[in-house]
Amino acid sequence: MAHAKQDRKNAGVVELTTFYVGDALCGMDILNVQEINKHMEMTKVPQAPECVMGILNLRGQIVTIIDLGKRLGLPPTERTGDSRNIIVNSHGEHIGLNVQRISDVVQANWDEVEPPPANIGGVQGRFFEGVYKTENTLVGILNVEEVLKDEEEA
Amino acid sequence: MTIENDETLQMYVEESQEHLADIESDLLAIEQGGADIDEELVNKVFRAAHSIKGGAGFMGLTNIKELAHKMENVLGMIRSREMVPNPEIVNILLLASDALRDLIGNAVESNDIDVSEHIEALIAVAEGALPDEGKEAIKKTVDIYFPDGTVAFTVAEYDILQARQGGKFVYLAEFDLIHDVHEKGKTPLDVLRELEKTGLLLESRIAIEGVGTLEDGEPTNRLPFLVLYATLLDPTVVNTLFEIDEQRIFKLGEDLTTRPIGLEPGTESGAAQEAPGPSGPVSEEPVAPKPVDAPTQALPSESRAPERPEPEDGSAESRATQPKAATQNKPTPKQVRPKAKSKTKEAATKGPEAETSLRVHVSLLDTLMTLAGELVLGRNQLLQAIEARDMRTIQLGGQRLDLITSELQEAIMLTRMQPIGNVFNKFQRVVRDLARSLQKEIELVIEGSEVELDKTIIEAISDPLTHLVRNSADHGIEIPDERIKAGKGAAGTIQLKAFHEAGQVNIEITDDGRGINGDKLAASAVSKGLITEEQARMMSDREKVNLIFLPGFSTAEKVTDVSGRGVGMDVVKTNLDKLGGVVDIESEPGKGTKVRIKLPLTLAIIPSQIITVGNDRYAIPQVNMDELLRIPASQIRDRIEKVGDAEVVRLRGHLLPLLKLSEVLGVAPTYVDPEDGTQKTDRRRNIADRRCVKNPVEARDDRAGEGAEPAQETVSGERADRRSLTERRFHAESAVNIVVVSAGPLKYGLVVDRLHDSEEIVVKPLGRHLKRCKGYAGATIMGDGRVALILDVGNLVQMAGLVSVEGTERAEEMARKAAEAVKARKDMQSLLIFRSAEDEQFAVTLSQVERIEKVKAADIEKLGERRVMRYRGGSLPLFTIDQVAQVKPLADQEDLLVIVFIVGGREVGLLAIGPVDATEVSAEVDDTTLKQPGIMGSAIVGDHTTQFVDVYAMVETLHPEWFEQQDVCDKESGEAPTLLIVEDSNFFRNQVKGFMEEAGYHVIEAEDGVVAWNILDEQGEEISLVVTDIEMPNMDGFVLTKKIKGDERFAGMPVIALTTLAGEGDVARGKEVGIDDYQIKLDREKLMESVRNHLVELTGR
Repeated sequence: MAHAKQDRKNAGVVELTTFYVGDALCGMDILNVQEINKHMEMTKVPQAPECVMGILNLRGQIVTIIDLGKRLGLPPTERTGDSRNIIVNSHGEHIGLNVQRISDVVQANWDEVEPPPANIGGVQGRFFEGVYKTENTLVGILNVEEVLKDEEEA
Repeated sequence: MTIENDETLQMYVEESQEHLADIESDLLAIEQGGADIDEELVNKVFRAAHSIKGGAGFMGLTNIKELAHKMENVLGMIRSREMVPNPEIVNILLLASDALRDLIGNAVESNDIDVSEHIEALIAVAEGALPDEGKEAIKKTVDIYFPDGTVAFTVAEYDILQARQGGKFVYLAEFDLIHDVHEKGKTPLDVLRELEKTGLLLESRIAIEGVGTLEDGEPTNRLPFLVLYATLLDPTVVNTLFEIDEQRIFKLGEDLTTRPIGLEPGTESGAAQEAPGPSGPVSEEPVAPKPVDAPTQALPSESRAPERPEPEDGSAESRATQPKAATQNKPTPKQVRPKAKSKTKEAATKGPEAETSLRVHVSLLDTLMTLAGELVLGRNQLLQAIEARDMRTIQLGGQRLDLITSELQEAIMLTRMQPIGNVFNKFQRVVRDLARSLQKEIELVIEGSEVELDKTIIEAISDPLTHLVRNSADHGIEIPDERIKAGKGAAGTIQLKAFHEAGQVNIEITDDGRGINGDKLAASAVSKGLITEEQARMMSDREKVNLIFLPGFSTAEKVTDVSGRGVGMDVVKTNLDKLGGVVDIESEPGKGTKVRIKLPLTLAIIPSQIITVGNDRYAIPQVNMDELLRIPASQIRDRIEKVGDAEVVRLRGHLLPLLKLSEVLGVAPTYVDPEDGTQKTDRRRNIADRRCVKNPVEARDDRAGEGAEPAQETVSGERADRRSLTERRFHAESAVNIVVVSAGPLKYGLVVDRLHDSEEIVVKPLGRHLKRCKGYAGATIMGDGRVALILDVGNLVQMAGLVSVEGTERAEEMARKAAEAVKARKDMQSLLIFRSAEDEQFAVTLSQVERIEKVKAADIEKLGERRVMRYRGGSLPLFTIDQVAQVKPLADQEDLLVIVFIVGGREVGLLAIGPVDATEVSAEVDDTTLKQPGIMGSAIVGDHTTQFVDVYAMVETLHPEWFEQQDVCDKESGEAPTLLIVEDSNFFRNQVKGFMEEAGYHVIEAEDGVVAWNILDEQGEEISLVVTDIEMPNMDGFVLTKKIKGDERFAGMPVIALTTLAGEGDVARGKEVGIDDYQIKLDREKLMESVRNHLVELTGR
C-alpha cells in the first residue's frame, strides 16, 4: 500500500477530501476514506482515552469515533448539524474521525505540496504530511496514521 | 516404545507446532532484552517448552521430551535471573527449538533422530560452563568468496571473529545499485546507514567487475554493491533488513564458505534435519584461520582440527561440524531441492493449522439446508408483505424469521459441537502410564463424556486438563503405602466429570489424594515474594488454595518428570481465562482435591444480563453472574454497611463487597424519578446515605443475631412505620440493584442503576484505541442497533482496586473486626473522672452518680469521725476515699465537690476535688494490680492511671448497718440460690460475682453463651437465675435467652440482661426473646434489687 501511495504521489495528482477541524481546513487522501456519515448516536465509553467520543454500530461492525479536534489538541468538535464522521480504514480496522464539517474534494498536485510548518492553525506539524495551497486557502494534509496512533503507547 | 499414530498424537503435534510458532520471535525478543528480562515473555516460552515436554512425556517421545526439558531448564534459569540471556544462549535455544520443530514434524520417527548435541549444548549452558571464546588473536586476512568462487572481500579474520561475537551472523549481501537502491529512491549511503542501525558493517564496495565485460554475451544490467555485514538477525529474518533477492544474500559459514540464505534449507534446522544436527554453540566457534582454497569445497576437517581451540563440549562440536561441512559442500543446484522440500513441508504443516476441517453429520447438514430454504421463503414473504403494506403479514413474517433464525443458530452451533469424550478418553492412557511410572495405583472414572462443547473450546481445554490430571496423579494421589497408612484404599481415584449447569459446561477433576495444604501454600507464596505476609494472613483457606494459580508457583517439593516446576497451574488458569472459563480449586488436606472448571458452551454468542448505568446500557456475561439482588429501600440500611472504605451487603449471612459500577466507570449514576418518570442524576455518595438516624451501635445491635433471629422482620417493619412513606427514597425506584458476579474465587456485588432483560449477545471486538480500557471484554449490538459495552467483571475489580477487600471471606473478616470495635464500644463505660488528692485520679461509673454539688470546705461539719453537711433540709453523710482505701488524703482546698450516690436506699456524698470530667472509655480494667478495699481496679484513662472507686464497698465498710436487713431475705430455705453469670469481660464478671457472693448467693461463671448453655445443660436444676451480658462472642445474650426460654427445663428461669447501653431496639428485641429485665452494667444496687425481686417471685410461686 505504501508503494501504491508513493506511486500516486509520484504521478502527481491526489484528490483530497477536505474538512474543517475547528477553523482549520484539513484534508486527506480520498482513498483513505471509507465513507462519511452523520451518525451521532454513539455509545460513550467511560474510561476511554479523552479523544474517543464513543463507539458506533456501522453495519454490524463496532467503530471507534475519535474527536479529531481533541486529537489534534484543539477544542472539542462542536456538535452541529454539519458535523460528520469520516470513516477511515487503518490496519484492517474502521475508525471514525469526527469533524466540524465537510468541505470540497480538492485536486492537489503532489509536487506542489509543501512540507508542513511546525504548526498549522494551532495544530502540531507532525500530524501533517504537507500543506497544499489552493487558490484562496491552505489545506493541511493530514497524516492519518499519525493521527490514529495511540498516544500513550507511543 | 512404539507410538500409536492416533488422533491424540496428531493433536499433540498440532498443539506443539502452535507452541513452537512463536518461540523463535520470542527468543529473539528475549535476546534483545538482554539483562532487562521481560518475565512475561520468558514465561511464555517456558510454558511452551513445558507443554511440549509434558505432551511428549506421555506420548513416549523421549527425544522431544528430553530436548524440551533441557530448554525448559535454561529458560527457567533465565526466568529466575540466574542467567543473562546473551546471544550465545539464545542462539543455542533457537537451534534447539529448530531441532524440536523438526522432531515434532516427524514425531513418529523422532526417537531415532540424534539430538544429543543440542542437549549437550543446553546442558553446557545450564551449567554455566560456556565454551571459551577463541583467544587467538589472529592477525590474518582471509578472502570471502561467493559460492561461485569469485572473491568478494579480503578482510582481517580477527574482524570476522569479533563480528561473530555475541552470536552474530555474518552475511555477504549483494545489492544491485540500480534495482535495489536507486529505484527505491534510496542512495547507497541510506542503505548503509540503515544497516548500521541493526548490525555491524564490516566492509562494503561496489563490484565493478560484476557489471560484466563487453565480451559477455548479455549485458547484466546490474551494478552490484557488496556488503559484508554482521548482525544478530538470523538468515530467516535478515532479508527484512536487506530487502533484496534472497539469492543474493549469503551467510558466512564457520569455514568462511558462503551460502545463499534463500537456498538454505530452513537455516540451521535444515542442516539438523539432513544430518544429525549442527553443533549447539555454533557462533562461538572461531573461524578456521586458513582461507579456503576453493569456496565450494569445505575444508578437510583434519586440517582444521589442530588449529581449532578445543571447546569444552568438543565432542559434540567435532561430530557436528563434519556433516555440516558436507551440507555446505553441496553445489547450488542440489540445494534447491531441500528448499523446495522445506517449502512444501511448511505448506503441509501450515495447511491443517490454517484450514482445519470438521466432520458434520449429513442429517445435520440437511437440517441446515432446510432452514436456509425456510429463511429464503420467510424473506420472500416479508418482502411481499412490506410491498403490500400488510401489517399483519409483516408481523407474522417477523415472527417466522425470528423462529428460523434461532433454529439456524442452534443448528450451526451444533455443527461446531463435539463431545468432550474426545478429550477425556485420552486420559485413560495418560493416567495408566502415569500410574505405572509413578508406581501408584490410580483408577480413572469418567463421567459425562457425551457432554458437547464448541470445537474450539474442546481443543483449547485439552492442555489445561492434561495438566490438572497429571497434577492429580503426581501430587494428589499418594503412593499405596501412604494411602493405606492414611486409612484409604491402596488405589486412588481420579474422577473426570462433565455436566451442564446453567447454560455452562462444568468439568470437575476430583481426586481422593492428599489434598492441598493452604497454609503451606501461603507460606511458600510469601517466601517466594508472591504475596505479602499481611495478605496471607487475611486469606481464607479457599483463597490460599487458589494461590496455586499464581505464576511461578510449585507444589511438588521436587521437580518430577511428570509435573512440577509450578508452571502447570498458571498455564491452566491462563488458558481457561482466554476461553472465558472460570477455575476454582477446593481441597481438604488428607481427603482430596476438587478442581472445578466452568466453561461457556461457545465463545461467539453469550447470554448476558443487560443493565444500565448512567445513560448507557452494558452487558454482563451470565457466565460471571451468580444472581441478581434487589434491596428494597426499607432494607437498605439493614443490609448495606460500610467496612473500612468498602461498602458490603449482607447476603444470606455472608458479607459481599460492593462495587458501584458508576464509580468504577466514572459516570454519573441515574435514577428514574417516580413522580414524573424522568431520568435524573443520583447524587448519593454512599449507597446507604440518608438512612440512619440512630447511632451505629444500635444499628449493629439489630443485626447482632440476624442469622438466627426472626425478630428482624418486626423491627424493620416498625422502622418503616416510624418514617414517612412519602419520602422519595422509599419508593420502589430507590431500591438498590445489585448484580452478584464472580470472577474466579472473588465474588462481589456490582451496584447498577437499573436491570433489564437477559439477552443473547454477539461479541464484537473493540478498536485499538480502546484496548487499554480493561473493564470491557468487547461490545455488542443491541436490538435497536445501538452499541452496548460488555463488562469484564474480573478487570473491573482491579480497576476499582477492590483487591484490598478481596473475596467474601475477607470482607467477613473485616466485618468481624469492625464488630469487635463496636463491641469494644459497647463495653465502654461512662465514667466520672475526679480527684481526691491533686495527683491521684479516680473514677466511678457515671450511672451510679446521682448528682454533683459544689461545696465550700467551711460548710462541712465534723461530728467525731463522721463528716456531714446540711443538704436539702437534712444532713448528708460524707466520706472520703482515704477513709477506706490506702490513698493520699483529700486535698486541703477551699472549694470541694460532693458526688452524691444512693447506696442502700440512702444518699451519701463522696468528697472530691476537680477537675471532673465525664468520659467514655473502653480501656481494659486491671482488677489485680491496684485492687484494695474500696478500689475495684484501675485503668489508664487519658494518660493517667485511674483507680475505680467501689462506692458500694466503701459505704458498706463505713456503714455496715445500712445493709444488714437486706441480706437476710435472701436466705429463707437456708440454702443460697445459685446464679449463673454470663459475661465475657473478666472485670465485669468478677465484679458481679464479687458482690453477688458477698450478698450470699452461690455464683457460677461462664464467659460466653455457649459455655453458659453447656453449664445449664449439665447442672440446670441448681441454677435459679441467669444474669447475662448481651454482646458476647460465639453466642450472644439474645440467642442464649431464646434457648433458655425455649427449653422446657428452664421454663420459669428468670433472665436478667446486663448491658451498658439499653437502647430501644435492644429492649424490644430482648422482650421478644424473653429477657425478664434489663440492668445497666454495674449499677450494683439496682441489679441486686432486680435479682432479689425475681427470686422472690420465683420462690413465691
